[in-house]
Amino acid sequence: MEAIWLYQFRLIVIGDSTVGKSCLIRRFTEGRFAQVSDPTVGVDFFSRLVEIEPGKRIKLQIWDTAGQERFRSITRAYYRNSVGGLLLFDITNRRSFQNVHDWLEEARSHVQPHSIVFLLVGHKCDLEAQRQVSRQEAEKLAGAYGMRYVETSARDAINVEHAFTELTRDIFALVRSGDITIQEGWEGVKSGFVPNVVHSSEEVTKSDRRCLC
Amino acid sequence: MAAPSLLLYSDRSLFTRRVKDSRSVEQRDPGWKLFGKVPPREGTHKDPKKIQTEYETKAGRAGPGNPTSPRQSVRKNLDFEPLSTTALILEDRPANLPAKPAEEAQKHRQQYEEMVAQAKKRELKDAQKRKKQLEDRCKLEESIGTAAQTWNQEILPNWSTMCTSRRVRDLWWQGIPPSVRGKVWSLAVGNELNITHELYNICLARAKEKWNTTAAPATEAETEDVDSSDRESSLELIKLDISRTFPQLCIFQKGGPYHDVLHSILGAYTCYRPDVGYVQGMSFIAAVLILNLDTADAFIAFANLLNKPCQMAFFRVDHSLMLTYFAAFEVFFEENLPKLFAHFKKNNLTPDIYLIDWIFTLYSKSLPLDLACRVWDVFCRDSEEFLFRTALGLLRLYQDVLTCMDFIHMAQFLTRLPDLIPAEQLFQHIAAIHMTSRNRKWSQVLQALQKDQERGSPVLKR
Repeated sequence: MEAIWLYQFRLIVIGDSTVGKSCLIRRFTEGRFAQVSDPTVGVDFFSRLVEIEPGKRIKLQIWDTAGQERFRSITRAYYRNSVGGLLLFDITNRRSFQNVHDWLEEARSHVQPHSIVFLLVGHKCDLEAQRQVSRQEAEKLAGAYGMRYVETSARDAINVEHAFTELTRDIFALVRSGDITIQEGWEGVKSGFVPNVVHSSEEVTKSDRRCLC
Repeated sequence: MAAPSLLLYSDRSLFTRRVKDSRSVEQRDPGWKLFGKVPPREGTHKDPKKIQTEYETKAGRAGPGNPTSPRQSVRKNLDFEPLSTTALILEDRPANLPAKPAEEAQKHRQQYEEMVAQAKKRELKDAQKRKKQLEDRCKLEESIGTAAQTWNQEILPNWSTMCTSRRVRDLWWQGIPPSVRGKVWSLAVGNELNITHELYNICLARAKEKWNTTAAPATEAETEDVDSSDRESSLELIKLDISRTFPQLCIFQKGGPYHDVLHSILGAYTCYRPDVGYVQGMSFIAAVLILNLDTADAFIAFANLLNKPCQMAFFRVDHSLMLTYFAAFEVFFEENLPKLFAHFKKNNLTPDIYLIDWIFTLYSKSLPLDLACRVWDVFCRDSEEFLFRTALGLLRLYQDVLTCMDFIHMAQFLTRLPDLIPAEQLFQHIAAIHMTSRNRKWSQVLQALQKDQERGSPVLKR
C-alpha cells in the first residue's frame, strides 16, 4: 500500500557533469554514499516521502539528469513538468559555478508557461581545502536570482536533508498560497491520497500557516 | 554425483557429533524438572537415535549382514536418516502417565514409517535435482566447448558462405562462445570505414598530443575557438568517466589493466570524429569491446558501431531523428503489447525515459554483462532493429509486474532492471516479438515516419 501523502512534487536535479547530482540524491533517498556511481545517461528516477509537518507528508519524485552538455537537448524537455529544481555546482570546480547562469537560462527558456522553484546547491563542501568558490559569492549569485543557497556534502551527509526539505517547504508554501496550482496535464504537482478530514483541516490552517514556511 | 553424497555424509557426521555433545551435557546435568515435583528419571532423555535403531532392530530392518550395527547399515542402504525428533513418536509414555494403548502405538509406528518414507522421497528428489543441475552445468560447458569448436573450425573459415545459413543463425541466437565472440563481432560489424591499425595509431598520437597541451593552462588564443572549451572538457570528462565504467570489475580504474586502453580508444575517437566527440555512454561500449578484442580491433569495431545510423542519431543527439526512432518503437510496442502500451500511455510513461539509457549504452549498463553480450551478439548481426526488439522483449518479460505499477515505480524499474534476469526466458520473449506491423518491416516503418515527422511521438517536443 502506498503511504498517504498530501501532494506529490516533481523535482529535477541539474548541473554540470560530475558535480555529484546522483550521489546527493542517493544520499537523500537511500541514506548511503556510493564511492563511484555510473555516469547518468538520459535520466534516472528516485522518490522519497518527506514529512514537512507532523502528519503532513509530501512525496518527492526526483528526476536525476545527465550533466553532459550534449544531453541538454534531451533533459530540457523535462523542465516543463517539474515544480522544483536543485541546481548543483561543485565548490571545488569553478567552471561548474560559472555555468550556473547558463543552466538557469536553459531552464527558464524551456519551462514556459510554468515556473520552477530553484535551490542553488554548492556541493562537496567536505572538500574545504580545495574550495574554489566562496560561500559569499555563491550566496550573492543565489540572491540575484531569488534562490536560496545551501552547501551540502553527500559524503559526510551535511545539509542533504535540509536542502530537500527546505525546497519542499518553499514549494508547499506556494501551493498553499495558490501561487502554484494543480493543473490537468501538468505533472509538477499532484494531489495525493488524503482522507477528507485532513483536507478540511487544511482549509482551516491555510491562512495562518503561510508565512511560517 | 560425488558432491551430493559427500554433502550428506558431512551432514551426518556433524549430526552425530552434536548428539554426542548433548548427551555428555545431559550426563553432567542432574536433570531439569517440568513442575518441580517430578524427579528426573532414567530414559527421559533417551537419544532419539537410540529409539530409532531399537525400533529398526525390532522390526528387522537392520542390514542382513550386520545386525549388530544397524546405524551403519542404515547409512549404507537408505542414504538418509530421519530428523532427530522423528523417532520420539515411537517411545513409550513416561511412567507417571497412562500407558500407550496398543492401537495407538501401532498408529504411531505407522505414522513414523510414513514420515520416514516421505522424508526419504524428499531427499531422493533433492538429490535428483542436484544431479540434474550438475548435469545441466556440464552440458552447458560442453555445448560451449563444442560450439566454440564449430565456430572456429567450420564457420569462421567459411564465413562469407556460412554466415547467413539457418544453422549458423540458430547457433548465433544461442549466444556466441566467449572465445570467438570478438572475432564474430568484428566480422559482423564489418569495417565500412576502412579504418586500419595505422589510422588508429595516428589518431591515438594526436590525442596524446592534445592531452599534453591541455595539461598546460589554456592560452587566450585557444579559448577564442568556440569548440575548444567543449573539447577540452570532453577530454576531462573521459578521464572522469573511465573510473566510472564498470567499477565493479576493477579493471578500467586508474592502475587497472585496461585503464590506458579505454583512455586511448576514447581519446583516439575524439580525434577521429571531432564532430561527434566523447559522449557519456560511449565508455561502456568501448569497455565491452575491449573485453572481447585487441585494442586496435576494438577501436575499429567501436568507430564502425557508432557509425550506424541509429547510434549516430543518438550520439549526436539528433533530436528529430531520435523522436522518429521512438515513434517507430511505439508502433511495434502497441502492436506487440497493446495492454502494456495503454498502461504506459495512461501513466505518461514515454519511451525516451527508458530507451535513452538502453540505446546509448547498448544495454551494457542496464543488463548483466553476460546477458548484454548476448544482446550484442545478435545486434552486431541484425543492427538497430534488434535493440528495439530487445526493449520490447524486456517489456514483455516484465509485463505483469509493470502493469501493477504507477509512473515512478515503472520508471525506476526500467532504469534499474533486476540484477538477475533469466537469460533464456528473456530471449524467448525477444523471439516472441514480431517485428512486422501491417506487413511493414522495422526499416519501412522508420522510413515512413522519417518522411512524415509530424506524426512523430509527442515525446521530447518542446
